[in-house]
Amino acid sequence: MTAAPTVVKPGTTPAESYRLTGELPMVDQAAVPFIEIETVRAREFIPAAKEAFSAMIVEQGQSKVIRPTFNWAGRNSLFPLHWGLACCAIEFAAAFSARFDAERFGIVPRSSPRQCDLMIVNGTVTWKVAHKLITLYEQMPEPKWVIAMGNCATGGGPFRTAYSVVPGVDKLVPVDIYIAGCPPRPEAMIDGILKLETLIRERKE
Amino acid sequence: MQPDDLAKALAPRLGDRLLGVETFVGTAGRVRFRPEAALDLFRAVRDELGFRHLSMVGGIDWVDHREVFYVAWSDDARQYVILSADLPADSPHIESATPVWESANWHEREAWELLDIGFDHHPDLRHLLMPDGYAFHPLLRSFKLHEPEELEVKQRSV
Amino acid sequence: MWLNMGPQHPMTHGLWNLRVKIDGEMILDCDPEMGYLHRGIEKISEDRHYNEVITLMDRCCYVAGFAWEHLYIVAAEQALHLSPPERADYIRTMCEEFQRLGSHLMWYAAFVQDIGLMSPFLYAMRDRDLILDLFQSYTGARLTYEYMRVGGVRSDLPPGFGDRARKVLDWLDQKFVDYDRLCLGSTIFRERCDGLGVLSARDCVATGVTGPMLRSAGMKRDVRKDRPYSVYKQLDFDVAVADGGDVTARYLVRMEEMRQSVRILRQVLDWLDHHPGPVLAERLPRWLGAPYAPQGREGYLLKRNYPKGVGFSSVEEPHGEAQAYVVNEGGEHPYRVKFRSPVFANLSAARHYLVGYHVADIPPIMGSVDICVGEVDR
Repeated sequence: MTAAPTVVKPGTTPAESYRLTGELPMVDQAAVPFIEIETVRAREFIPAAKEAFSAMIVEQGQSKVIRPTFNWAGRNSLFPLHWGLACCAIEFAAAFSARFDAERFGIVPRSSPRQCDLMIVNGTVTWKVAHKLITLYEQMPEPKWVIAMGNCATGGGPFRTAYSVVPGVDKLVPVDIYIAGCPPRPEAMIDGILKLETLIRERKE
Repeated sequence: MQPDDLAKALAPRLGDRLLGVETFVGTAGRVRFRPEAALDLFRAVRDELGFRHLSMVGGIDWVDHREVFYVAWSDDARQYVILSADLPADSPHIESATPVWESANWHEREAWELLDIGFDHHPDLRHLLMPDGYAFHPLLRSFKLHEPEELEVKQRSV
Repeated sequence: MWLNMGPQHPMTHGLWNLRVKIDGEMILDCDPEMGYLHRGIEKISEDRHYNEVITLMDRCCYVAGFAWEHLYIVAAEQALHLSPPERADYIRTMCEEFQRLGSHLMWYAAFVQDIGLMSPFLYAMRDRDLILDLFQSYTGARLTYEYMRVGGVRSDLPPGFGDRARKVLDWLDQKFVDYDRLCLGSTIFRERCDGLGVLSARDCVATGVTGPMLRSAGMKRDVRKDRPYSVYKQLDFDVAVADGGDVTARYLVRMEEMRQSVRILRQVLDWLDHHPGPVLAERLPRWLGAPYAPQGREGYLLKRNYPKGVGFSSVEEPHGEAQAYVVNEGGEHPYRVKFRSPVFANLSAARHYLVGYHVADIPPIMGSVDICVGEVDR
């Protein structure tokens, strides 16, 4: 027999309702449907493993053995560079906070470029920071990916006419995923990273 | 404090180097002065009138001249004052306010960089926002902004 | 030896470079290097309509967008000789105070993480999301709102907003106790922060430092009290002050400011409940109102020769005292827009509160300054 759900009387304070139901008083906001995403990822795991192991047994070719396993491992532990350029950095931080919790996808920001394989350009890139961005990109070990987060990194955004702004970070480093928005919501950023994982899964070279 | 009080207090110190005090909404007034009087005026405003807190230094590029303005705050009067001087457009320069207000340092660096206003005897006048060696002064009206496409074409042709 | 900390460094919380001269662990001199996020907002503003500048204001300080919108709007309305309806003024004040809560929670999250405590970051960001939800319910955005307009605000609040906002305030009121217990109750926190980064009131005035840093040195100065703008004259609140001028004092001031913000918000929400009315001025010139006017209200008079004017405003932003200077020369675009950023001045005084401490003290000290590079570089 299951316990009856606790009924919250109207007029209770948020703290009381939290104590009774264990839910935060969210306002007009559906939480991220993380259960669905988790199931999808669990489903993805088995074909990837099957593919890897069957390739190992049948093909006997080295690249076909290593590549899927490597891709599977790589895409499930993307380490983005921990740096904040502008407004999108706040949403970047929010994505790693309690509500959105991007770490459940294996994304952990690291402060040293040597430990990273993903650079999220979260904001406006100016000409003054351009060569530092390239240095950081070159310090990251291969294989590496770049996500242009937000309109500024994609094409200059509202500042594209400014004298000091690089109109799009793809003028400096190759970009794999563009995320639209000014700034994009944390869900959009997480979606962009999941799209990048799809790219990595299909990577042959 | 009213504009008249400001004029009364400053006139004996500055004489004809004080060009007038105007009313300015939300402040004690706008003091217009000749650039030669800069340091005398700053000292008088800080020590005698109590405007110890310099909030900002800015400039405006008018058609025929360049204006530099200072905003200061007095804790006793609970008011702002705006000091402004007109500088010639060909060689705009004024004495630095750093000996009087230390906080003028970065503001003057910014005004020099973006508006090409020279601050004499500034301790550390170098680029603040743009990279070293940047040759333009972007906030001048003659500096026009471009759409990035035009910029690209230009860079390619160079 | 000169040591570079930044522009990519976990301490910086943005793009800037702190060059410190060190001897062993001791800091002898320092030189903050700014400009990595200089986007030319003042220049772009000269090419934009008055209402289009608001877009840039949100991005100017991305943790306190509403405060900067308010700052610009007050100056622009003065320059254009317009005044908003009273209800719009109250809504703006509400926005600004909610923004103060949001900004201080963001500061708390970042600052406490600098010291090495991870869970307060999660708590503060969770509660900040509740405030962002409120913003989202009437502006549609989480960070960049574009909500205020010259002559009022874009739209009225949605029905039932007051009750939802009060629920969030009740929740926050209880959480402040937890925050204090997590930090002030922790011996490690106290030993890490007490007596660190001391800046005396005299140095504050000399170097132009404002905001919580100035109030933590014992000076009771707040633009909302000293020179009340908007509707702050009608509201009852205290100015948070602490003694000592160190990192702990800045923490105390900001926590007290959050409590005062909750107090202000309760009064403002009560007022808004009982005073319905228009939120946009009736007679806006067409070039100012038409593209944004609500339906059925497009028929404004077109004034050809709009009078010239200058606007100067000063607003107590979450980081300190921000100022705007807007020059209107009669055209559709502002002739010149100049902003004073409080963090700009607070950072320029870095030599006064960093020299003499150790390299390991830099993250808590700079964390307590609450840096938003967007508004420093503009």
